[in-house]
Amino acid sequence: MSPRRADLPLGGDATRRFIPLIVGAMVYLAALALAGTFALDGTVQQWSDSLRGALTVQLPGVAQAPEGDEAQARIDAAVGLLIEIPGVLSATALPHEQSQALLEPWLGAGDLPADLPIPIIIDVSVDAGARINYEQLGQRLEEVVPGARINDNGVFLARLVTLARVVQLVGIVVVFIVAVAAVSIVVFATRAGMTSHRDTIELLHLIGARDNYIARRFVTHALSYGLAGGILGLVLAALTLGALALAAQGVDQTLLPRLSLDLTAWIALLCVPLASAVIAMVTARMTVLRALRRLP
Amino acid sequence: MRYGHGPEVLRDLTFRLTPGSFHFLTGPSGAGKTTLLKLMYLAQRPSRGEIEMFSQNISKTHRRDLPPLRRRIGVVFQDFRLLDHLTALENVALPLRIAGARRERIEAHVSELLAWVGLAGQINAKPPTLSDGEKQRVAIARAVIGRPNLLLADEPTGNIDLAQGLRILHLFEELNKIGTTVVIATHDRSLITTFGRPELRLSNGQLTLHKAPSVMLDDDAPVGAPDTESDKRA
Repeated sequence: MSPRRADLPLGGDATRRFIPLIVGAMVYLAALALAGTFALDGTVQQWSDSLRGALTVQLPGVAQAPEGDEAQARIDAAVGLLIEIPGVLSATALPHEQSQALLEPWLGAGDLPADLPIPIIIDVSVDAGARINYEQLGQRLEEVVPGARINDNGVFLARLVTLARVVQLVGIVVVFIVAVAAVSIVVFATRAGMTSHRDTIELLHLIGARDNYIARRFVTHALSYGLAGGILGLVLAALTLGALALAAQGVDQTLLPRLSLDLTAWIALLCVPLASAVIAMVTARMTVLRALRRLP
Repeated sequence: MRYGHGPEVLRDLTFRLTPGSFHFLTGPSGAGKTTLLKLMYLAQRPSRGEIEMFSQNISKTHRRDLPPLRRRIGVVFQDFRLLDHLTALENVALPLRIAGARRERIEAHVSELLAWVGLAGQINAKPPTLSDGEKQRVAIARAVIGRPNLLLADEPTGNIDLAQGLRILHLFEELNKIGTTVVIATHDRSLITTFGRPELRLSNGQLTLHKAPSVMLDDDAPVGAPDTESDKRA
């Protein structure tokens, strides 16, 4: 005797084959969208931090040795002006080698011609709460060092941060849409199961089964395909992320923001199959209980 | 009682079954026997009127409170309603499983009952491999396994031979002796004659009693009497 054989043979219909695959595809999309959102989060945070208290001043380069008097005079003049400005915490010129290194992605790593005027970069730290009139500061710098220019990183970074936040929002919307689609699929699958097993359900009802007893059969079934599909989707998503990480290794890191997942992100991704199982279970239960209310 | 906006199938029926009584329900096809049984096994609610069973007004009972009442009713359906993916033994065990009975009790009782109805060698057979007569016996075993207070059977001997039919009826009588109220819908006059039990005849929407020491009809049936097992007005 096998008294635990299911009285509702839900696994025997078409949902057994197709629903786990569909749920897997949903979880795959949700996991990728979630991974993208989390990966951007660190970068956005980094950019946001950069927004506060940092700007650079670029002075025109001189076609002579960097330690030359002319170059040093420009640096001294600009730094002297900058540190007088209320709110400026420090102003330091980047060493010539560092300025050269910044150009390497475009000009290569070889020795640059000595007469190439490499711009002088001054890294300025600013009090985050300071209100500095950058337009006026630019004019004053222009007076002491003609051709000096303030690179207001803030504007550029702010746009980047906004873009990244929008991308993150899109990721969350994708996760939401996928969840709604998953709920719809579970409702469809559950209703299909109820229709194909209508006689059995009616019999169980007539011999005294409570609604919960019948719903439990569907919930257990939903748990199995929700979990199976969830794990399938997560494994595929992990493989995809691994492949992307591998492909990114071959790209110059200076051209890409640092995209990585921290522990929280990995935990969240691991929760996706569980979430898909829970969504499937709750949806199946609600669908069945609602339908059973039509029986006397 | 009516289905949807159709004509009333049953109307102005008032009767009360004394607990422990045994009746045959007869009447021409389409007279409403199955509808009356459906009302009695709580598969339908009356469109008007009241049904009182087990001292409860079914018409006003919340549906969440009906399952325990249904477990007190054994039903032999005319079309058996066996689950094809379960064995005979599992089909019979179904009411006990639903009631949450222990596995040991299920195994002991079900095997014994299946042996009693002559299906000891078929306990692991699934309904599609059984003859109509065997399916009938499985359906009967499932109806009585929970020792119901009320047993309702719709043509329970329609697909089995006379000897087997008599054997099944004797089983119903045994249950009746230990207190189960029995109502059997049948066209088989020989069974009625053989067992000499009162007959409830349903015809033209009217219910009449023949040889009925234990049943009262219409205005003779006070509603809500203490010994009321099943009281129906539809």
